This record gives sequence, structure tokens and C-alpha cells, in this order.
Amino acid sequence: MNHPQSHSFRSRLLLSFLIASLVPMIICSALLSQISRIQMKKQMETDAQTQTANLLTALDRVSDALPGAARALEESRLLPRAFTSREDTRVNNALFLATEGSRDLADYSLYDLQGRQCYSTGSVTPGSTLPVRWGILFAAANSGGKSVYAAPSAGEDGGNPLLQGAAVLKNPQGEPVGYLVMDVYEQNFQKLFAGKYGSSNEVLILSRYWHPVYASQSSLNAGLAPVLREQLLRGGHPGAETEEFRYQIQEHRPTGLYLVLRQPQVFTKSTMKLLRAASGFCVLVGILISAALCLPLSRRISQPIGRLLKAFSRLEQDDLDVHVSRDGEDELGQLAEEFNHMVQALKANRQELVENQRELNQAQVRMLQAQLNPHFLCNTLDTMKWISKINHVPQVALMSTNLADILRFCISAEEFVPLAREVEVLNRYVEIQKIRLSDQFAFLVSLPEELETCMVPKMILQPIVENAILHGLEGVPDSVIQVCAEQDGEDVRITVTDNGHGLPPEMIGHPYKRESAPTGHHLGLYNVDTILKKHYGEQYGLYLDNNPAGSGARVRARLPLRRKEEKEC
Amino acid sequence: MRKNVLFLALLLPLLAGCAKQPEPLSCTPGQERRLVVYTSHKEEVYTPIVREFEERTGIWVDVVSGGTNELLQRLQQEADTPKADVMFGGGVESLESYQDCFSPYICREAADISPQFQSESGCWTPFSALPVVLVYNTKLVAPEALTCWRDLESPAFRGKIAFADPQISGSSYTALVTRIQAGGGAEACLTGLCAALDGKQLDSSGAVLTAVADGSCLVGITLEETALQHIAAGEDIALVYPSDGTSCVPDGSALVKGAPHSENAKRFLDFTVSADVQALVGERFCRRAVRADIPADSSLPPLSDLTLVSYDVEWASENRDRILSDWAFLLGEVPS
Repeated sequence: MNHPQSHSFRSRLLLSFLIASLVPMIICSALLSQISRIQMKKQMETDAQTQTANLLTALDRVSDALPGAARALEESRLLPRAFTSREDTRVNNALFLATEGSRDLADYSLYDLQGRQCYSTGSVTPGSTLPVRWGILFAAANSGGKSVYAAPSAGEDGGNPLLQGAAVLKNPQGEPVGYLVMDVYEQNFQKLFAGKYGSSNEVLILSRYWHPVYASQSSLNAGLAPVLREQLLRGGHPGAETEEFRYQIQEHRPTGLYLVLRQPQVFTKSTMKLLRAASGFCVLVGILISAALCLPLSRRISQPIGRLLKAFSRLEQDDLDVHVSRDGEDELGQLAEEFNHMVQALKANRQELVENQRELNQAQVRMLQAQLNPHFLCNTLDTMKWISKINHVPQVALMSTNLADILRFCISAEEFVPLAREVEVLNRYVEIQKIRLSDQFAFLVSLPEELETCMVPKMILQPIVENAILHGLEGVPDSVIQVCAEQDGEDVRITVTDNGHGLPPEMIGHPYKRESAPTGHHLGLYNVDTILKKHYGEQYGLYLDNNPAGSGARVRARLPLRRKEEKEC
Repeated sequence: MRKNVLFLALLLPLLAGCAKQPEPLSCTPGQERRLVVYTSHKEEVYTPIVREFEERTGIWVDVVSGGTNELLQRLQQEADTPKADVMFGGGVESLESYQDCFSPYICREAADISPQFQSESGCWTPFSALPVVLVYNTKLVAPEALTCWRDLESPAFRGKIAFADPQISGSSYTALVTRIQAGGGAEACLTGLCAALDGKQLDSSGAVLTAVADGSCLVGITLEETALQHIAAGEDIALVYPSDGTSCVPDGSALVKGAPHSENAKRFLDFTVSADVQALVGERFCRRAVRADIPADSSLPPLSDLTLVSYDVEWASENRDRILSDWAFLLGEVPS
């Protein structure tokens, strides 16, 4: 039988276990992941700052090299002649000297005012030109003497430089004589930036107008650069953190280039997924442990309670043989024990009731049997009386008269009679016994007048007196039987004493020992005691002992003092 | 349950973390330094021009590229709240037919532009001249087999002519009008060409050269610029200027009506016809400049040597729908 209470108790217990185990764990894991996230973020920011600074410093080399080389060339006295006389090793020497220490950054070339390439630190392609009305040379010519940097628009297919810088070279008179052009190729960038940023990071160089110049991973040119530019033009935050990457964007002022450092997020979706999976696993373990702890405990509680409930319901259906097995010495075990005690007590009580009922029934049956054919007996006795009178046998007449009276008294419907009437019938009996025993004993009755109307169950004195006559007085000379009624507070005490042999010790008891099975000899005493107890309760009945003053038995009957009108109670 | 809610409430600020928004970069250009260009040019054409424009003016150019008709339709849809400033590219008769979307603008150096490429209304600014040419596969076709439009109708080429659907390709429509104006009567021309095509059209103008080069078609109808690029790439293709007449319709740019950055747009239009850009048009893009002071590349025949039909741009744009529906009908398609 699954009671809702036990269910809810069990689930409440489980819930408590779960809260106690899971909530701290979830808080803990959330805190830990949050803390490590913040730490990582700080670390990333620091890294980004350092690396960006390093990269910008590297770019500074590019932006320093070109003006430096241009200045060095302008100071060289060879310059004015350089564009008129070709293949001059001295010019090449000057060019190499001027670009000493920065040739790993780029190839340097000298172009004349028509855009023809004249000298180069790299390979010289004969007939190679740059448009002077377009692109980098145009920009250099119109920059007012500053170095300019730009990404050639056709620079995305391998062989071309990714970044060009140009400066106008002037002769001592201040007239432009040619251009110094630096070509920065992909391998130059790779060399320049090598080791300056984390291996998992990527570098993207954007032009002044956010067109891609260089990317450490070539797919970023087409993938990331347009997106960033789009974000910038849409007024958003270019390089706002995404779930996957963090961006650091900084301008390199001398060249107007923008440096984008892309860092992969440490806490990416997959990391979070992993963390969540780990937390989920812990939660699962927590649930399992909670369930493993909670279920036996709740069973430990709910099973005994369930057994008790079952026992109670059997008890309700009047099954008094129910027994609850107890396991354990805890409170529930004690409860089961108490229950068993209670059932036993109930059972005993019930048995007693049944016993009483049975006894009552038997007494009633006996009484009915006793009333069988009463008139026939009375009439017979009357006939015997007349016959004995005619035949002059007065004893028989007297005996049959007395016997008939007693018989009538016995079979009369009333159960309670005044004590005076009881004593009168007792006298009739004693007369019969005197005739039988030839007057061998004296019979004295002491009945105070106020007790004459006291109502008593009929025929309670006759068995006591009979007992005294039959068992106590045999062979005793001058034997006396005294019946004495007296008031004792609310009760009436009737004492029957004799001076005979006295009672055997096993019969003496205060009160009369009912446990001893009624024997044939003392059936009368037993019946009287039973009648008194049934009518008035356990505290009333017979008290048997021997006369303390001398020989003989003393039987005392105790019953409540009741008058006629209250006999029904 | 209430307890749990409380815990969650406590956790929330922890979980939310510190999502700092980065500060906007200082380089974000203001509206006065912006320009939005819709272009139907190829990337290799618009990129150098746009980049150079940026470098020279400091104006950030936002380029939206696409097909001519697609962009023009988009301009029409956005007519109430224009997003674009300039339409860069597209045959001038296409621009003309969408003239409601554009504001007239006479560029600063208009005087230097050849009169034949000038717009009367100023609706568009020419960019480059694009004669219609015929191409053939040099391995499969003898040079003398194809000299004029009429040769296309020869049985040898039937169903072997690469021609893009004029509904889709603006240059194809120009070619169709050129064919009509080359003589023989409009209806006869259309019917003849249609029969020669044998119902086959290509989906894009780019596919014409590919089809001729790989031999799946013998001859094709395209623009000089496209043909020259493929010849330069070493494909087995030769081009022919039809002896019975070709057109030289320029492509152009136009100022969008209600352009948000109209001053920058005007600077861009001026820039596209500047001597520097026009020089580039001839040198790098295999096109003919529209400026009178910049001659065509020496390897190309000068325009004056070609038989030119009198191509009426206005007529072409006004009759566009009619001609296209006739064409579709002739090809056996449901007229649109």
C-alpha cells in the first residue's frame, strides 16, 4: 500500500538532499568558471597589449627606415647624377649603405621622375615602371615631402608587394629628382612579425581605409577584413568580441596602417560545452549519490511506517493476531513494540469480555433450567404436605411446606428481594435441615430493623448456610450458626459464622479466590460470589476465613446497601 | 523552489560577468567623409579606382557590387530613401531607362569628353566606350567566315552562336539594338538572329567567351573589352568588328537622386572621367577612354576606322520593353 504521505515524504527528503548537494556545487562551479574567465580575460588583455605594442614597434622600423634611407640618399652627393648615368655601382653602393640594417624589411628601389625603375636592392626588372599619375608615386609627389605608404591595389596575387612606401628625393636645390620606393613583401612581414605575437593569434594589417594589406593567415584578407570594414562603416564596433575571438585594433600613426590582433577566446562555445558537460556530470553524480543515500533512508523510515499502517488497518478489521516485526532499536522500533503491546492488551481484554459473556449466558441457562416445571414440583410438595397431615407425619408436612415455599421463592420472577424475606426463606431451609439433622445445631439471626428492607439478590444466604451445615458442623456438639447483618458505611456486610471444623487452608482468601476452579463441594459459595460480583462489581463478593476468636469458619458477604426503589441500579 | 530562485538571483550578477563594450574607434569616418557606390564593374576595374579615390580624397567608399539590372532595380526600390550615392557602371541606355532614379550632373571636365559620348540630359557621365564585336574560335572558324552580322545567319553557325539573354545582360541588349540598327529591318533582324540561335541563349555575358573558347559555340556576340581580355589571356579567340556596322555605346556612372553624400558623389564622378583614370581605362582595362585627349591603345583600330551605326540611346531605352518582349516571343518564350 503506497500512501501519498510516504511518497511526498520520500520526495521531500530527496529534494532536500538534492538542494543540499547540488546548490553548493552549482554555485561553486559557476564561481570557478566565472573567476577563471575573468582571469583569462585579464590575461588576454595584457597579452594583447604587449603583443600589439611589439607589433607596432616592428612597424615603426618600416616607417623609420624609409625616411632614414631617403635622407641618407639626399645627403649623398651622388644623387643628382644617379638618374642620368645608369648602372653606376657607386649609386648602388650608396643605396645599399643608406638601407643598411633595414633591407630585411623591404626591397628599396630608385625610380626616376618618369616612373622608371633605375636601381633596386632587389632584382631589377628591365623596363619596369610605376605610373607617376597614379598610386604610390602620385601620392608621394603630392604629399608635400613626406613618406607615403599604400597597398598596391593589385597586390593580392603572390609576387607583388603587399605594401609600398615612397618618398620624393630632392637635390640640394630642393628640386625633385626621383623617388625612393620600398616594397614590403609577404615574407618581409612574416620575418618582421615573427615571434611578436602568440602562436594561436593572428595578425591583420589594414590600410588607412581598412582594406587588407597583410594577414598572417591569408584567408583573413578575404574573410575578416571586409567584415571589419563593414562594421566600421555601419557605425558598429569593429572587432567587438565574438564568442570565438577577441580583437585588438590599433592605428600605426606613421604609416596610417591599422593593426588587428585576433585572439581566440579561451572560453569558446566548445570550452563552455566541456565545462557544462563536466558540471552536468557532477550534478548527475550528485543526484545519484543523493538518491543512493536518500532512498534507503526513506525506505528505512517509510517501510516500518507502512508496516504499522498495514497493521492498523488489519486491526481496524478486527484482526487481533496482527504483529509488527520490529527491526532496529530506534524510535520506529519502539513504536512497533508499543503497538504490539497495545494489541496484546486489547486481545486480553477482548478474551475477558468473551469469557464474562459466556459465564453470564451459562448462568442464565442454569436459571432457566431451574425454572423448569416449577408448579408441578410445588403441587407435588403440597400434595405431599396434605398426605402427610392425613397420615399424621408432621415432619414431612413441615418439610414439604417449607420446601414448597423455598421452591416458590426460588422460581419467583423477581431477582432482588428484601433482606427480611431472604432471612425468612433461610429460616425455612434451616427448619428442613434441623429435621434432617435432628436439631443438632443452633441457628441465630441478627437482622437490624433498618436493614430489613435492604434489597439483596435472592438465595445468596442459603448456599453459605448450607456450606456451613454440610461441611463445618458434622460431628460437632453444640454447634451454632450465626447470621449477622450490619451496615458498613454505604455497604451491607452479612457474616455467617459457625463453630465447626473451619475451612481448609486452601480456601481461605481475601477476597474469595475465584481462580481456583469451582469444585462440586463449594459450588454454592462460588455461585454466590459470582452473583455478587456480576451484579455489583469486582470489589464486592465473598470473603472466606476462619474464626479468629476460636474454631469455625467465617464467611462474609459484602454488598452495597440498596433500598427497594434503587435496586434496579 | 523559492530558495532556488533566490540562488539564481544571487548567481545572476556573477554569471553576467563584465561584458565591456569596446570604445568606438576614432577612425570611424563622419558622414562628410563617406560615399556609397553601387557598381556593376568587375572587381579588378573598380578596386584600383575606388582605392585611388580614397587615397586622394580621404573619402571612405562603401562598395556594393552586383549586376547592372539588379542594382538599378534596387535603386528604384530605394528611391524614397536612397542609400547609394553613385551608380558606377552599366550601359548608358540602362542608366537612361532608369533616369528617374538619377539627378543630372555635368561633370567638371565635360569639355574634354568626346561629343559622341556626352549625355544630352546630363543624366549619366560616360566612363568607357564599348564597341559591340563578334568573336570566333580561331581553331574552328576561318577568319573570312565571319565578317558581318549577316554571316551569323549562315547555316554553319546555326545553334552554335553564343549570345547572352538580353533580359539579363545589358550588353546583350545593346548588341541586339546594334544588330537592328545595322540594317535589314527590325523584324527581319530579330527573326534572322533568333533562327540562327536555334533557341539557345546563355545565362550571362561572361559565359559567351567561355562557350566560344571551349568550342561548344563557334561564334559569339560580346563587347570589345571582354573579348580583348580573353584574347590577352591567351584563349583561341579572335574578334571582328562587323563590317555592316557596330555601335560604340559607352558605359557610365550616374548620380543617384537624393544621394546622402551628393558632394562626394560628384567628386567621384569627376574622378572617373579625370585624365588619370581615363588613362588607366585604356592601359589596364582593355577599354577605350571617353576623353577626346586620350587616344585608344595603339593596338586597337581607332573608332573612326569602324563602321558605326547611329545608335540612338534614347530610342533603345524607350523601346526596351517592346523589343525584349518581341525577342522573348520569337524565342518561343512566354512574353513577360
